[in-house]
Amino acid sequence: MAEKSTPLLAVLQLLRKYNLKGTEEILRKEASLGDVEYETLNLPEVEIASILTAHHTESDPYSYEFAYESLKKFIESSLDVYKYELSTLLYPVFVHMYLLLIIYDHNEHAAKFLEKFGPEQEDYYQDDLAKLCIVKHKDQIKFNELAQIYSTNKFEVQLSRDVSSQLKRFLQEQKSSTVIINIINNHIQIDVHDGPGRNQAQVRATAGGLLGEATRNENRAKVYYGLLKEPEIEVFPVPAEDEEEAEETPDKPKKKKAKKENMYMKKPKSDPNAPPIDRIPLPELKETDKIEKVKALRAKRVPLGPDCLPSICFYTLLNSGHSAICADICDDSTLLAVGFSNSIIKVWTLTPVRLRGMKSADKLQDIDKEAGDVLVRMMEERDRDTCRTLYGHSGPVYKVGFDLFKTMLLSCSEDSTIRLWSLHVWTCLVVYRGHTWPVWDVKWSPHGHYFASCGHDRSARLWATDSYQSLRLFTGHFSDVDCVQFHPNSNYIATGSSDRTVRMWDCLTGSQVRVMSGHKSTVFTLAFSVCGRWLVSGGTVGDILVWDISNGSLTAALPPSHTGPIHALAFSRNGTILSSGSLDCTIKLWDFTQITEETVNDETGSTTSVPKDEKYLLRSFATKNSPIKSLHFTRRNLLLGVGTYEGSS
Amino acid sequence: MSDSELAYGSSLTVDSIKVIAESVGIANLGDDAAKELADDVSFRLKIIVQDAMKFMHHAKRQKLSITDIDNGLKIKNMECQYGFIQPDSLPFRFASGGGRELHFVEEKEIDLSEILSTPPPKIPLDVSVRAHWLSVDGVQPAVPENPPPLSKEAQKLESVDPITKLSKPSNKDSAGKPVCGKAARLKASESVHVKQLATHELSVEQQLYYKEITEACVGSDEARRAEALQSLACDPGLHEMLPRMCTFISEGVKVNVVQNNLALLIYLMRMVKALLDNQSLYLEKYLHELIPSVSTCIVSRQLCLRPEMDNHWALRDFAARLMAQICKTFNTSTNNLQTRVTRLFAKALQCPSQTNNETGNGPSMVTTMKESEKTPLASLYGAVQGLAELGPEVVKVFILPRVRWLGERVEGALSGIGGADRLAAGNLKHQLLKVLAPVVRQLRQPPDVPDDYKRDYGYLGPSLQQMVIKLRTTPAAGGGGGAVAVVSCTPPLVPHAPPAPSPSPSPAPSSAPSKVAESVARNVVISAPSTPPPQKFVIVSQQKTPQAQVSSSGHIVHTSQPTIVRSQNVQSVVVTSGPPGGAGAGGGGAGGGAPPQKLVVVGVPPQGSASAALPSLSQAPVSVMAKPVFVRAGQPSQPPPELDDLSHLA
Repeated sequence: MAEKSTPLLAVLQLLRKYNLKGTEEILRKEASLGDVEYETLNLPEVEIASILTAHHTESDPYSYEFAYESLKKFIESSLDVYKYELSTLLYPVFVHMYLLLIIYDHNEHAAKFLEKFGPEQEDYYQDDLAKLCIVKHKDQIKFNELAQIYSTNKFEVQLSRDVSSQLKRFLQEQKSSTVIINIINNHIQIDVHDGPGRNQAQVRATAGGLLGEATRNENRAKVYYGLLKEPEIEVFPVPAEDEEEAEETPDKPKKKKAKKENMYMKKPKSDPNAPPIDRIPLPELKETDKIEKVKALRAKRVPLGPDCLPSICFYTLLNSGHSAICADICDDSTLLAVGFSNSIIKVWTLTPVRLRGMKSADKLQDIDKEAGDVLVRMMEERDRDTCRTLYGHSGPVYKVGFDLFKTMLLSCSEDSTIRLWSLHVWTCLVVYRGHTWPVWDVKWSPHGHYFASCGHDRSARLWATDSYQSLRLFTGHFSDVDCVQFHPNSNYIATGSSDRTVRMWDCLTGSQVRVMSGHKSTVFTLAFSVCGRWLVSGGTVGDILVWDISNGSLTAALPPSHTGPIHALAFSRNGTILSSGSLDCTIKLWDFTQITEETVNDETGSTTSVPKDEKYLLRSFATKNSPIKSLHFTRRNLLLGVGTYEGSS
Repeated sequence: MSDSELAYGSSLTVDSIKVIAESVGIANLGDDAAKELADDVSFRLKIIVQDAMKFMHHAKRQKLSITDIDNGLKIKNMECQYGFIQPDSLPFRFASGGGRELHFVEEKEIDLSEILSTPPPKIPLDVSVRAHWLSVDGVQPAVPENPPPLSKEAQKLESVDPITKLSKPSNKDSAGKPVCGKAARLKASESVHVKQLATHELSVEQQLYYKEITEACVGSDEARRAEALQSLACDPGLHEMLPRMCTFISEGVKVNVVQNNLALLIYLMRMVKALLDNQSLYLEKYLHELIPSVSTCIVSRQLCLRPEMDNHWALRDFAARLMAQICKTFNTSTNNLQTRVTRLFAKALQCPSQTNNETGNGPSMVTTMKESEKTPLASLYGAVQGLAELGPEVVKVFILPRVRWLGERVEGALSGIGGADRLAAGNLKHQLLKVLAPVVRQLRQPPDVPDDYKRDYGYLGPSLQQMVIKLRTTPAAGGGGGAVAVVSCTPPLVPHAPPAPSPSPSPAPSSAPSKVAESVARNVVISAPSTPPPQKFVIVSQQKTPQAQVSSSGHIVHTSQPTIVRSQNVQSVVVTSGPPGGAGAGGGGAGGGAPPQKLVVVGVPPQGSASAALPSLSQAPVSVMAKPVFVRAGQPSQPPPELDDLSHLA
């Protein structure tokens, strides 16, 4: 009875799931299942699925191999137009056949099946197969992250209408074995699109996600990718300085004016894609912050381009061995923060200005609060440190980040906390708890106040500095969320994950607005272009992809010239140059204008063009055995890089 | 693909499980149980390693560490492995026996008391930040902080297989050079003029640099020279002008050997030394130019105008050391460099009747050799020195058998007339004794009977015997400078001695030096004279009329320089004034042109070069012996020795 009742229980559970009360009653009566079993209806989804399929397939191990071969033959013999789209089916079918074989205890057959057909799967799936092949017994399925993901989620496959009807015809002909039909019904989501079948390059460009391609339907939502109107700031609060400069170089005012016009002519018109300024509440700018902003606007910027490449100043961390993990340089490029694997954070000053702490409370009382230089007065003059250390975390620090006005520093760590540090009193202000596992990344919103984090618990979160709890929780990734990035207008965040997709989330609603597949490896870093329309992502194997977030399509895949994981991407302040830094100890500069221009021109044709030529790559600079941990463009468009020297070996 | 196939099946073997079971006290584990365990353990291990990989990636590393494993365990809610922190990866050892094969990690027993008694290890250096320019306006400057524009391997590859350079599409990845402009033009011409590609094109900056460096290296300004040599020894981006540098050196040696211009030869050898020291250069394809030049400077019959008083011996020593360094660095089984060099020197010592045209590959030597049937003593000295630098084994095989003949030569020269020959013979004798004594000491058993020595080694026997006895009586060579050194290292200094009363009353110096000597007022200041190893000399010399001299033979013209005080970590201070005389050789010593004036200060570096025991020994006493020399040299009646800053040679 016990043997037989498990499938019955599964059926019962299925009926309950779909709320088919009548049928459930009848079944229970007929099978004389008591209420006792009623309580034990908590079979995992995997088993239900497997049990239900079992009744169709007789679980004959040989039928799988045969069925897979026949599917392969069908695909190979079909027209070239259909071939490549159809071939995307092979991998999911293969995986689920393997899992089914395991479930039915045909372990030896499973191993043989894997050995026979595993190597012919796409190269970017080989890593997954290596992980999957660890599973050699059905008890192990629930311990294996990947097998778990595969059996609980549907694999997405995009087929054109013609192709899907071809497939249907093929499946109907398959009278002998129902294995493939069952797998396709249970585990594969076929997304039918109108239009011609895609060719090999097109298929390959977007394939590679852990669970197949992103469907187009998911990217229908409107995304306001435009920039926010800059808040009106009094542009002349420091006229003295202005005059000084004017005296120095008489031709400058004109230039500056032109630039200012440039900025203020464009912004008030505000492109139609920008979200309303009050879509999410943004923090009021403080007086000091405004001064800082004006300074930022005033910086004389070098107009970079393919003919005018930036100079690169490289900061090497010596004697750090492998202990330095992450680095950040504040917006005005005066401070450098580095997070270490021994839980500490160090902040260096990059200018002759020393790092000062605030005076003690009783000394602060003596200060005249009305004084103009109160901010300067409240700092301790005696402090003359060039480096300060922040203690607090209890695990490796995976990310540090300065806020826009370099008064605060955020850090996240393996100890699953995020900490907010004050750069005035040099202590920890807040510990944000919420993530349950290591936090991989944390980023400030470009407007301050908000920040986003993501971690091993497969979630990304949105926080505000004044709240202990997260404001939004973004879930949907199938694996670790490895990196997070704010859109320049603060209304969206993008996340990159080990499931090899990049997703975009709306901070207002918390919903997912874009899913983009195409990476063949874990995504480790993301960067939005200055104009807000493009998103660049870098992965483990040195792949860099450019996405158009207006429609979620892949714009370009940069030629694979990096050989190590990419951990740093930065746009020049005028958005023309993209720089990428990798663990292969090189910094590369890319002509971003050309990348985007070309695809905009192409747009009428196919949406995903994959350029093979190397003309995008402007230059490559190797460091002396120093993997690049961080890149930063100063306001004047000087590129700063940070790396650790790892010895001459 | 094969890798992944391999990965599909990998798991712990049953045997390993059994061994592990035994190690924890379970004597006989069943096969089935072991199989079951092996599968399960491999599954779990792989899961942990997979998670650990995530931590590795997020720590931005490409090497898995033990802390990653710990963190991986932590997120599985498992206890960490304590006490396994290990800076390096653990080497696996392999053992087999009894039909079983084992891989294991060697764990040594650690003596706690030993740990307690040893002083605590040094505190690791704190992390520091250092900034440099990785790129200036899109061009990577060739500074030591940046990697060399062309790696040593690439240079090697290029030297072995020039085709690689042609087939490379563009070098913008490796060198970060602009594609536009010159490089592009070059590329365009690639298809037509293949031959042009083999030449290195130098940019204007590089040409300027080349000019500056070569001028500074052979110029008169010692401070500039030091800078230039420093640049040659450290700068990573020199490979493109290396062919020109090497040609410069070889041509320079050719010309100046004919001109007998010792100073310039020394400068050129110092350039060679700097190039050899540069870590980023691959010199092999230029050895055909460098080796003849260096060997010329070792064995050439005459290297200076006045062999009786100029210290060309130091140049020979220095060049010999360079040759040894070249041999050590570039000797491979295919080029047999060391064998060829050894043969070259050995031939010079071969046989009195043989002319040794082969000795000098440098064409400059051949002509000078013909007139004398016998190999000149100076060449013999050079050959001995060159062989000695190659190690005691070489000395044993090539010098020792010929010591009798060499002794005859020395004896003949010492008894003969002619100051230069006597001096050379004296030097050769000293050198031979110095080189041979340690070897003989190893070869022979203690009772050192003078007669035996006389019988075995001829004329040099008795002196050698005394030397060996001295060596034996002093503590082992490791004892340092001491007495041994004083004796053994006089030879290199003897050249300073000529002004001092030498056996021959007046070695008939050319008239010019003495004339000048009278008109020159010199002060010799010796500071800290008594402390032996780190010694400093300050020597101030002046010359009456600074004058620029134009050399007719087309080498570089020097103008007069103001007084320069140079202080180096080599612990020598030189103050010179007046026109340095490098170019003076052009005019010839006999003419009215004032011969070049130079001062040499022998400084003592704190440590000798570790390459050979003998040279390092020789250093400490150099200064000791030098003292009187300089004092004597200060006497106005003596002609000023043509001196050079030899501190680098030490």
